[in-house]
Amino acid sequence: MSAETTAETGTEFSTGPGLEPRAAEGEAPPGIGPYRLAARRLRRNKVALAFGALFVLIVILCMLAPVYSHDIAHTGPNSEHVTDQVRVNGKLKDVIAGTGKNIGTPINPTWFSAHGRFVLGADDNGRDNAVRLLYGGRNSLEIGGVATLITMILAILLGTMAGFFRGFADGVISRILDVIWAYPAVLLGIALGTALALGGVNLGLFKLHGNSLMVPAVIIGIVYIPYVAKPIRGQVLSLREKEFVDAARVQGFGSFRIIFSEILPNLASTILVFIPLILANAILLEAGLSYLGAGVQDPNPSWGTMISDSLPRLTSSPHLVFAPSIMLVLCVLGINVFGDGVRDALDPRAKVRLEH
Amino acid sequence: MAKFDRLPLRALVAAALAALAFGVAACGSSSNNSSSSGGGSSSGSSSAKSGGTVTWLEGTFPDYLDPNESYTTQGAEVQWVVYTGLLTYKHAGGAEGGTLIPGLAESLPTISSDGKTYTLTLRKGLTFSDGKPVKASDFKYSVERMIKLNWGGKSFVTGYVTGAADYDAGKAKDISGITADDASGKITIHLDKAYGAFGNVLAFPELGLVPSGTPMKTQSTNPPPGVGPYMYANVVPNRSYDVKKNPAFAKFNIPDIPLGHIDTFHFKLASDTQSEVQQVLSGSADVMDPGDTITPSLLGQVTSQAADRFQKQTIPSTFYMFLNTTKPPFNNALAREAVNVGVDRRGFNRLASGFLQPACYFLPDGIVGHPSGDCKFGGLAAPDLAKAKALLKQSGQAGANVVVWGERRTPRDKYVNYYTDQLNKIGFHATEKIISDTTYFPTIGNAKTDPQTGFADWIQDFPNPSDFYLLLDANSIQPTNNENFSKVNDPHIQSELAFLNKVPSTQLNSAAARWTALDEYAASKAYVFVFGSEQVPQFVGPKIDTGALIFHRTYFIDLTSVALK
Repeated sequence: MSAETTAETGTEFSTGPGLEPRAAEGEAPPGIGPYRLAARRLRRNKVALAFGALFVLIVILCMLAPVYSHDIAHTGPNSEHVTDQVRVNGKLKDVIAGTGKNIGTPINPTWFSAHGRFVLGADDNGRDNAVRLLYGGRNSLEIGGVATLITMILAILLGTMAGFFRGFADGVISRILDVIWAYPAVLLGIALGTALALGGVNLGLFKLHGNSLMVPAVIIGIVYIPYVAKPIRGQVLSLREKEFVDAARVQGFGSFRIIFSEILPNLASTILVFIPLILANAILLEAGLSYLGAGVQDPNPSWGTMISDSLPRLTSSPHLVFAPSIMLVLCVLGINVFGDGVRDALDPRAKVRLEH
Repeated sequence: MAKFDRLPLRALVAAALAALAFGVAACGSSSNNSSSSGGGSSSGSSSAKSGGTVTWLEGTFPDYLDPNESYTTQGAEVQWVVYTGLLTYKHAGGAEGGTLIPGLAESLPTISSDGKTYTLTLRKGLTFSDGKPVKASDFKYSVERMIKLNWGGKSFVTGYVTGAADYDAGKAKDISGITADDASGKITIHLDKAYGAFGNVLAFPELGLVPSGTPMKTQSTNPPPGVGPYMYANVVPNRSYDVKKNPAFAKFNIPDIPLGHIDTFHFKLASDTQSEVQQVLSGSADVMDPGDTITPSLLGQVTSQAADRFQKQTIPSTFYMFLNTTKPPFNNALAREAVNVGVDRRGFNRLASGFLQPACYFLPDGIVGHPSGDCKFGGLAAPDLAKAKALLKQSGQAGANVVVWGERRTPRDKYVNYYTDQLNKIGFHATEKIISDTTYFPTIGNAKTDPQTGFADWIQDFPNPSDFYLLLDANSIQPTNNENFSKVNDPHIQSELAFLNKVPSTQLNSAAARWTALDEYAASKAYVFVFGSEQVPQFVGPKIDTGALIFHRTYFIDLTSVALK
């Protein structure tokens, strides 16, 4: 077994010895496969499981947003009630105060004393905060999920091609990745987000409207490609020199067959470790971009836009800021701790982390 | 100029467009030789205490302290009392503050019958704050310097004054259309075409006099001497400056220009508007700049703890949604009516935390010609949604796709969110497109964008209805930097503007009824959806005598009215 830190990863990434092919290590007890062993280890990590459950709970809650919106709150995420009134404990109250000293102040949480309406109060535009919180979570998770998918597919493709074929292909792919990596992720996201929010994306068959949730998803997906592709390239460079790859070559296997049958299976644990890391970071970056106006566009909710919109009310209506902030923290914490558990389970000595 | 929130480019274009609009034959503008009312009272409230120092916080430092270059609210509000123009405005609140009075000129201008020649005479015995005597030729020099320094509103001069455009282009050594006789103090200004609002242009502090020979480059760190009740001192760039009493000014005894009460105003840049409000609230500072905003979270604190020191002041401005009359669905009058009937105007005021005076006419309250009657469509109370839906159905535009454009700045983004939601309630299929503040107006003013509807606003450059009607003037429709976003091209409006735009600003009241009729006509066509006028906070510390304060609609808190208790 060789412990290595790839030159390409620099200080950003390091792949520990644990990401070497499990079959070659012979660590698993006889009769138990490496993934079964990992599952057994993960089951023993109660903290990771608890946070994983927390994340699943958040996902379920967010998926139920339409049910809550339709059957409980009776309003949509973008429906405004600026001049409407709601009955709280039998008394009519303005959703947005229309007179007096507090004119313009949204209604505070009603805590189910208004028949499920405005449970967490309203925002400045008189929209139900609880409904937007759940829809915002849906949007954040959807963007994070799609971005992760884009990142992983393209990173695996590019990293494997660069590492396996080396030479010209490696040179071109690595330079492209270097260019993307040269920009800080947030700045690149802001630049792309601001530009695409106006005109959307139009690449012939591939068209996205500026307001589409897929715009930030594509941006985030692209931004994170080098963070995964580079370590994968490093690992493939190492794997292609292994005896089992030589053996496959001697048997007459073509390049693509070797990649699919010999290389990719040995990258599985690395990929599994990267997925939660990228997902958590994608959700965070989406929140950051949306906070800065370069992510999810109005009137679509996201936790980032909700925090940004409510900041001027931090002292008078702190729940408007804290509710999406807490959801964001819990969601990312859940993914990260569970992701750490997965990493530890796959290899307790692994040191894969995402730094930027 | 619309200093409060406009990019300079907009005013440049606006004035250029106005020049086009007025480029028809002059028609009977009578001469005017009215002089200022007597008076001679040189102070504001006689009972106010004199002396003392006031700390004034600003969230934004003035762009320039040089009068011929400044183009922001923060610059103009001080320069109004430091650099008096040949004409100026009454130091009064309300509509009275829009009255033109002679400043350094002995009287209001004499205007030729064709409206193209303005003649004024400089007061005798004037000196700058450094003691130099003021000459008539200083006016010409100041105008030329303003052009050389590229003041954002220079097109108000280069678009009209004979030879000013050539001087600006470097084709002439001086402005041929301005002649000044130092011996008699007579100043004559020739215009290429009649421009009724030119009196207002002469009242810009940016055309205030500075001594001939003042370098033709920015003097912000050492502002040139002026003629006014106050003068600049102790400038620390981008941090602070003092405005002190000009001891020479009292002896000029200019009627209706008060001498002021406070000895020294210490203007300081606040780290942020939050701390600005808190310092004034606690009394560690005395005045919050009205150009800044009070965040909603602090507003409750201010209104509960310092209600006696806080007031919302309406400034002549029109906040509206334009409705593009050249493309569906708003090329249909019934669809436009549906918007005016069905959108609930009350909501905008709530979104602005109460800093918006609901309105439905294009000419705002405080501008000559503002109609005082009920709204033509809808009203300021709850809307008639059923009627709006019926109108839309009748128009055949129900379900029409509409893209609503807006800028990101709060609360303007909220207005657009709300308006989009309201359009959907009426029966349109509306989505919104919100873009950054800096690119918003150039984007929607570009013919390639050709937006259907969206947010727009106008804050007066000067108190004259023609400044607002530039936005509904067909001559303002341009392929780039268009200001007539609704693309209104109405023959009746054009014929009325051909007359009204030539009425001298000193005779505006004579045309008030005609302006009112025009504004009512425009409202009856529902060319735009007007929803209000902006309000700004007047918030002072506990030491300030609020009874003496004057809020001037053009220059905000009048420094000459500020006094300590």
